[in-house]
Amino acid sequence: MTESGFRSAEDLPEGVSGHLANLILALADNKRLLGIRYSDWILGAPSVEAGIACSAMAQDEWGHARILYAMLRDFGHDPSALEHERASDEYHSSELLDRDVASWEEFLALNFLWDTALSVQFEMLVESRYEPIHYKVRKLLEEERFHFDHGQGWTSRLLSAEGGRVALAEAFGAAWNACLRGFGPDDDPLSGTLAAHGIVRRDAAGARARWLERVGPVAAETGLARDAGSEWVSTREPVWEDRWLARRRAVEGGPDEDSLARVRGDRNRELLMD
Amino acid sequence: MSGNGQVYEVFARKKRADRFEHVGAVSAPNEQLARVYAWQTYDEAKWFEMTVAPRDAFAAVNRPQAPFTLGDPGGRAPADSR
Repeated sequence: MTESGFRSAEDLPEGVSGHLANLILALADNKRLLGIRYSDWILGAPSVEAGIACSAMAQDEWGHARILYAMLRDFGHDPSALEHERASDEYHSSELLDRDVASWEEFLALNFLWDTALSVQFEMLVESRYEPIHYKVRKLLEEERFHFDHGQGWTSRLLSAEGGRVALAEAFGAAWNACLRGFGPDDDPLSGTLAAHGIVRRDAAGARARWLERVGPVAAETGLARDAGSEWVSTREPVWEDRWLARRRAVEGGPDEDSLARVRGDRNRELLMD
Repeated sequence: MSGNGQVYEVFARKKRADRFEHVGAVSAPNEQLARVYAWQTYDEAKWFEMTVAPRDAFAAVNRPQAPFTLGDPGGRAPADSR
């Protein structure tokens, strides 16, 4: 590929900049909220080691979110306003993260299925023609390798016992549709436009296929995916009927009151310097 | 096997030219989680290389006690004192 890169948002072709800013904001919001979900389990995880892992993963996610919000300055946004001043329905994060999760199995659905879905979206940016982001992505993906291993390691552990298998299948089943949808519909204008301009490597369908390739071998154990020879496929079609919003990259709604207060840092607001 | 699995000993070195040092131990249900736990727990240095092995894999040479159970001069508590 000899196509040249874009050094800043203002170099991007007409119609691309808005979509890319939308994608970066969605990824940032997902990481900020996911960091909170990881932090919720620092003290309640099944072992001290798992708690330390949750703490490390929370820090990783918050670091990634901070980098992504800062990147939006290039698109004319005020990162501080994005981080601290938005209402719930202005968040572009998955409905999976709107409220805290009740069990370790539901936590693993976030850790293994949704965190991997986010990582796949970053994989699509590894060779992005939008250079400011592709410089950041490799280190982020190196850290995410351990999140994947954590999710897979725990999933294997639960799958080895019948009780664990049932609870895990239920939690994965409940999160599955939101994960499939999180990439957007096959004709998604956002990822279609970004793919056409070399900003992301593959469109929504391509990214979803890559995600299924990564989670499929484990998800197959819960009946959600199967090996179709040349690729891994979902055993369920994505259901779109309930109000999927292209802009939000999720269904209508937003983080609940407690999550919003935490994600915006409301309690620390008086400590914020300019 | 208990809920937390078994103890894995963790070794790491900062540079290719260094010898591995024993940096500690973690309890984990399987090797995949042992690798994650080791990397995230013993993150005090930018390690060039880290490796884990089940404590059971080590054979005592000159003492009757199992290795890694006699305490650590570095002051780290063993991950498991069972």
